[in-house]
Amino acid sequence: MTDARDTDEAIDRRADAPTRERVREALDDVTDPELDRSIVELEYVDAIEIDDERVTVAFTLPTAWCSPAFAWMMAVDARDGIEALPGVTEARVILREHMHDEEINRGVNERLSFEEAFPDADGGVDAVRAELDEKARIARQYDAVEELLEAGLEPAQIAALRVADVEPADETGDVAAVYLRDRALAVTVPMEPIESYLEKAEATGVVSTPDDALFRTPEGEPIDPESFDLVHRRGRLATVNMSGQGGICDGLREARQQRLAVDD
Amino acid sequence: MYYHGAMYQHDGEDVFVIDAHVHLWDASEENITHDGGEQFIQCFYDYHTTFTPDDRQWDMDEYRKYGQERMVEDLFGNAAADMAIFQPTYLTDFYDEGFNTTEQNAELALEYPERFVLNGTFDPRDGEEGLEYLEELHDTYDIQGVKLYTAEWRGESKGWRLDDEEAFEFLEKCADLGIENVHPHKGPTIRPLNRDAFDVKDVDDAASSFPELNFVVEHVGLPRLDDFCWIAAQEPNVYGGLAVAAPFAQNRPGKFSEILSELLWWLGEDRVLFGSDYAIWNPDWLVETVMEAELTEEHRAEYGVEWDLETKKKVMGENAAELYDIDVEEKKRQFREDEISQQFDLTDHYGEPAAADD
Repeated sequence: MTDARDTDEAIDRRADAPTRERVREALDDVTDPELDRSIVELEYVDAIEIDDERVTVAFTLPTAWCSPAFAWMMAVDARDGIEALPGVTEARVILREHMHDEEINRGVNERLSFEEAFPDADGGVDAVRAELDEKARIARQYDAVEELLEAGLEPAQIAALRVADVEPADETGDVAAVYLRDRALAVTVPMEPIESYLEKAEATGVVSTPDDALFRTPEGEPIDPESFDLVHRRGRLATVNMSGQGGICDGLREARQQRLAVDD
Repeated sequence: MYYHGAMYQHDGEDVFVIDAHVHLWDASEENITHDGGEQFIQCFYDYHTTFTPDDRQWDMDEYRKYGQERMVEDLFGNAAADMAIFQPTYLTDFYDEGFNTTEQNAELALEYPERFVLNGTFDPRDGEEGLEYLEELHDTYDIQGVKLYTAEWRGESKGWRLDDEEAFEFLEKCADLGIENVHPHKGPTIRPLNRDAFDVKDVDDAASSFPELNFVVEHVGLPRLDDFCWIAAQEPNVYGGLAVAAPFAQNRPGKFSEILSELLWWLGEDRVLFGSDYAIWNPDWLVETVMEAELTEEHRAEYGVEWDLETKKKVMGENAAELYDIDVEEKKRQFREDEISQQFDLTDHYGEPAAADD
């Protein structure tokens, strides 16, 4: 009996053991906060090593002088995301080739706060994160609203939507039913952009209850239908800003890789 | 191309180019006194290589200190630019003699006063002395503009804000002296400077408090284009300087189209100014690249804006001419026989006197 139970536990442990695929999935959700794109998609991740219940991730940013606050956020999010996986007891991150890699690696792996790791910094990361989250929220709102406009909704209808007006249309959860006219009518759209928007809207605190207005101005207020176009333009602008900065980062990363290749 | 013997032409029409953002810097090793100085020039160099065609890239030695002669040739030799505006960057905590000061720029600007506009600067952390220095710059060089570097290190301080009480004193002084054009650098973080010190939001309060001054936000706030455009949409005396955004035209044309469309939509064609950021990028290829750039069909439809000849003429020169009281027609006449036109054989380039118009 005892033997059999041991074996079952061993099997359970193996089933829970972290795999590269699971680790990569966890990292998919870690974003460069300035670009609101996954660090996997951005090719920042260099290596994933799994040693039983310990996982180590190495990553490199486009430049050696990327904001230490941004680097810190990505490192912490990677660590916490991986540690949330079943079967992982410890995640370590190794930021490479950054002007502050020592402080960041030590701070994140020893679980210090940003202020402890950077006593000279003139502010914590929370305010920076909140501001970038807000920008990501505005850009994601643009994408979600575009989807609804495409599905034929009127600006006034979009401005009037409440959180509770959006529900999964079926069991897959890939399609959203958006209810209009006191639920007399439903329009279906892809769920992903709306879900992605809601995630940031909740994280930034602009929506919290089912009765809340779903979409907001950049300042977080419900949208007056009269100013819908302007609010939507500002959302577009937020996406352009992010992708523009993404262009700079991409370019710097390519130039750096070429240089490193030459140095080798 | 129409270079040499003809002013840059587009659809047969002359386009007078004022490069509104150039430097004459010295990052030679002898001049560097702080690690920050080396990091700063290395970071500039990364921007240079990232957005410069391979065959036009400089090596690090020539990039550190290129000198007056080369600068004149790069700007005017193939008539890429007709005039240029010096924007100083002092960084005296990093560089012994400063990186790119008004005094350094003046050596060249005074040699060709018809071709260069010389800007000064101020730093509110210098207090009373700073105010005196600003007045001295005005008296010595008759400056009409200041370039401001809010992220500059000064002792323990890692930067300042345009809406600080002290900064307002200096803006007041500018207004009193008739220095109308204020160019804050609000752009990418340059190592080792602090990102937050380039936050663009302080421009808002300054611009609404000093409606008599023009605020040309250099680098259009990137990576805070959204904050910048929103402020500019509300403050009519806020302009956008294209330095850094311009070279996107070379290897990120779709992004260039998108950013330019946003700027034209939010600010209109009268409030965007071309600048190369020389020597980060060289007008000898950049002007042509930007002039030849096109907005995508999609962006033209979405934003309802055009990058047509009229818009180009404004952005590439006329808007800067307006801010700096430059009479373009008078300049063209002057350039038919100035020293630079003779040196580079450009006398034909500015054409014969238009007798029919007299």
